[in-house]
Amino acid sequence: MAKAKQKKTGAPARKSAKTAAQSGSMMVVGGGVAGVQAALDLTDLGYYVYLVEKSAAVGGAMAQLDKTFPTNDCSL
Amino acid sequence: MSKEEFNPKILGFLCNWCCYAAADAAGVSRYQYPPNLRTIRIMCTGRLDPAFVMRGLVEGAAGIFTGG
Amino acid sequence: MLSLSGKPGNFKAELQLRPRYIDADKCTACGLCTTYCPRHLADSFNEGLDLTRPIHIDYPQAVPASYFIDPEACLYLQHDTCQICVPTCRSNAIDFSQQPKKISLDIGAVIMAPGFGRVPEEALTQYGYGQHPDIVTSIEFERLLNPSGPFEGEVRCLSDKRHPKKIAFIQCVGSRDLGCGNGYCSSVCCMYAIKEAMVAKEHDPECEITIYYMDIRTQGKDFDAARIKAEEHYGIKFIRAKVADVIPWKKNLKLTYSTMDGVHRFDAYDMVVLAEGLDSPTDARALADITGVELDKYDFCKTGFFEPLASSRDGVYAIGAFQGPKDIPESVTQSSAAAGISAGQIKAGRGKDIVIKEYPTEKALKASDEPRIGVFVCHCGINIAGVVDVQKVDDYTKDMEGVVYHAQSLYSCSQDAQKVIKEMIKLHDLNRVVIAACSPRTHEPLFQETLKDAGLNRSLFEMVNIRDHCSWVHANEPDKATDKSMDLVRMGIAKARHIQPLPEQTVPVTDKAIVIGGGIAGMTAALNLADQGFQTTIIEKSARLGGHLLDQRYTLSGENMADYLKKVTDQIAKHKKIDVLTNSELAEVGGFVGNFSSVVRSGKGSKASEQTIDHGVIVVATGGREHVPATVLGKKVPQSDKFITQKELEIGLAGKGKNRAPKSVVMIQCAGSRGDDLAYCSKTCCTQAVKNSLKIKEINPDSQIIVLYRDMRTYGFTEDAYREAREKGVIFIPYSMDKKPSLSAKGTKAEVAFYDPILQDDVTINPDLVALSVGTVPESTAELSRLLKVPVNGDDFYLEAHVKLRPVEMPVAGVFLCGLAHSPKPVDEIIVQAQAAAAKASIPLVKGQVSVEPIVSSIDKDKCIGCRLCASLCPYQAIEMVKVDKKPKAETVVASCKACGICAAHCPTFAISMGGFTNEQITSQIEAFGEALEEA
Repeated sequence: MAKAKQKKTGAPARKSAKTAAQSGSMMVVGGGVAGVQAALDLTDLGYYVYLVEKSAAVGGAMAQLDKTFPTNDCSL
Repeated sequence: MSKEEFNPKILGFLCNWCCYAAADAAGVSRYQYPPNLRTIRIMCTGRLDPAFVMRGLVEGAAGIFTGG
Repeated sequence: MLSLSGKPGNFKAELQLRPRYIDADKCTACGLCTTYCPRHLADSFNEGLDLTRPIHIDYPQAVPASYFIDPEACLYLQHDTCQICVPTCRSNAIDFSQQPKKISLDIGAVIMAPGFGRVPEEALTQYGYGQHPDIVTSIEFERLLNPSGPFEGEVRCLSDKRHPKKIAFIQCVGSRDLGCGNGYCSSVCCMYAIKEAMVAKEHDPECEITIYYMDIRTQGKDFDAARIKAEEHYGIKFIRAKVADVIPWKKNLKLTYSTMDGVHRFDAYDMVVLAEGLDSPTDARALADITGVELDKYDFCKTGFFEPLASSRDGVYAIGAFQGPKDIPESVTQSSAAAGISAGQIKAGRGKDIVIKEYPTEKALKASDEPRIGVFVCHCGINIAGVVDVQKVDDYTKDMEGVVYHAQSLYSCSQDAQKVIKEMIKLHDLNRVVIAACSPRTHEPLFQETLKDAGLNRSLFEMVNIRDHCSWVHANEPDKATDKSMDLVRMGIAKARHIQPLPEQTVPVTDKAIVIGGGIAGMTAALNLADQGFQTTIIEKSARLGGHLLDQRYTLSGENMADYLKKVTDQIAKHKKIDVLTNSELAEVGGFVGNFSSVVRSGKGSKASEQTIDHGVIVVATGGREHVPATVLGKKVPQSDKFITQKELEIGLAGKGKNRAPKSVVMIQCAGSRGDDLAYCSKTCCTQAVKNSLKIKEINPDSQIIVLYRDMRTYGFTEDAYREAREKGVIFIPYSMDKKPSLSAKGTKAEVAFYDPILQDDVTINPDLVALSVGTVPESTAELSRLLKVPVNGDDFYLEAHVKLRPVEMPVAGVFLCGLAHSPKPVDEIIVQAQAAAAKASIPLVKGQVSVEPIVSSIDKDKCIGCRLCASLCPYQAIEMVKVDKKPKAETVVASCKACGICAAHCPTFAISMGGFTNEQITSQIEAFGEALEEA
């Protein structure tokens, strides 16, 4: 998680003038468990990620859960 | 002598992934517990060589705690 | 998000950044501001069951670990008064001058994961929600169970704080309910209700818990086992019934319900939990308007069966509950899959925008160099200094051996403190750094980064935790907390004297992949890997690609399977980066993540040939097939052509046979599954039965179809098809295990006898056809699990590394898993899982190297006697035996080692050392503990 955040705060690199060139950045909308995992995987795959979350912290609904089914592992 | 507080010094070996993390969480939640434990972080209780336990007792620990 | 324009590869997104009014870089999450904030606020994180303040943090583990101010509730932001918090913050982090900002981003692809919304209010109020405080939603109950919840983990009635002795769960609240507009099944409520019931039972074994349900849908991997455990081990009662209403009755709640036999009953409960479903996200429509994606009739994102994550707008993907209600492992799987697909689509952008940091050259350190230790004791504002006498701790280090510099720091994690640490390292020529502050689990990487910036090896660092383990937990005993801090610091310094620099190790990677199995899972994974630019070899046992898809004809929504299969096999054939080896099997596997070398055997007998392939990763997609049960419903299947499987029925229905949709058909669900012949639920049979029923009705609307089932598990949107089948006259009748239907063949006639719980009588009929839903088994996993050293579960499916968070990885690094070899599942879920496995597998290939934490084990070959004890104990297959001068010696496979130290603890000759946790270091800590005792 720290990694994705770190990348977010850095300045994006300059794009080439050619419009045909593909961007090297991705945007993930939503910082729940799905969004966070996607952002982490994209970072690992060599992309700069903007993780956009409307509330003050990532984690979403999973952070509210006590334990998870069926192993009763802790959610956090 | 009878009024003297029982105040043992316990040496703890804490697994980085569970017990050490749990001790951190206890702090974050401000749970209070007696200040008798001195801890050594290890990456897994699998690392705990029985020799460390013996050495701890020789050095004067009243007890050894392991959490993993 | 305000707008999205452009196309894949070149989107432009406009965003509005809302201020949090707190500088996240300065905030230390000490919590002082919250204690001073004068206003109370319902805590939405605890579902309003508890109180917080406008300036707060949702939960201690939140990321970013920074407080924020709720502008709707803050007295200053609403009424221009107060500002009490500003001077209380010791690190001056509160900043009311922050303003909303608009920013614009250039991006290649968009992944949407807005989560789920709450079900309509009327779904809750029909069961009395809002009329009595002890009627709670399942999420409220989840918070009640949680130690950080309103009663610190004690389950209490909200009305009078008593412990409830009888709790009822009502299932399908806001799901499978056209009344509130949600016709679909939410797919998660059965699981979490069972989980909550089990946890509640653990809190209070005396508590009686009843779950009222229509169908218990625990179709996921190993989920049924948990359901059985809930019933048999925990004594949780399950009643198939429709609940009419819940009304307050004296101190309790009266719950009225009707069972299958038509009888109304009622029972009293202390607490009623409404298992509320997942709705589409509240802002789904706004999001759809902004991004231009289409929604389905329930306002979830519209996606296709064969491209389950692609929205109607190219380059925009939907994952998680927005794509359809689903649980955590499936959401996590979709996340990886979407990352992989977008990476395949935007291949040219890879690596362009990433920022690579550079460090100064590391200073060489010889073993003979005297330790020059610098100690920094942190105040953490008042978090440590408020309890521990920091000055005393600092003074204590003064005369210790090796300490050449010691100081205090107000916030040692702050940016300016890093500058000071770097300067002091240079000024005093420090070669070890000890920081007494908070937890290494959260802050070690930050300080190690500082060491690297200062030209020191990052291993020359030790952290002492005098906050989480000391000041915070001994707040009322400052003297003893100070003593403990001093002891811990002494032990940390003792260890630091023995710390040696450890080399950063990396292992190069062969950027090729092999995929075992050429079914839909294997082909999908191979295509994604190849699209990302990696040479991939598919190894298929049979003569052709396709796997179990070759036996499927059509999907529930009517798409033709053969057309799709042809499209995929054509893509494979054309792709330059994919090799296909048919009639081939893996014969040998050697190596480890990044550097596997495998022998593949092709052909049989005299024509057999072998070749060696070097590759970096392995995707296991060996698939499964329809089960052939030895017994059905406890008996042998009657020998008659009237008894066929659902697969055979589907093939017949898709053909041209005259009598393919006969006048009367009986379908038997769980024929050989769920404890009959197989122990588990095969997840897909209920949908297949509904699919085939609808097909029969399409061909012959007069056909009478009876489906005998235990629980109809048409989860998610397939619930709509189940409803459609009932509307079209298909009869669904449940059976229980103590009144099983019996199957027999009398001459040319088939006979089915069963108990009808509505008629309350035994019924015998002679249908034209009996279709058995026989379930799915994995293709043999025994041989491959031995070759790859990966485990299987009790049902012979491969076991993933972590059920929730690493669903497509295996415990052995570099080996990934997807498809029916993982568990039974429908084709759309297989496709997503295969895409996810491919994405995960491509991570080491993209990086080009596997980096190794320096804490792995190392083995002194001179001391090693080759006893193999370590190799046999290692849980990660990270120790290999090699020959040195013809003698066996152990060697660490650094890429696989997880640094647990089991080997080091067991080595009879002390030949094994753990980086950062050597015998010498740990012993010195123990000795320092002893010295501290003597001092006291």
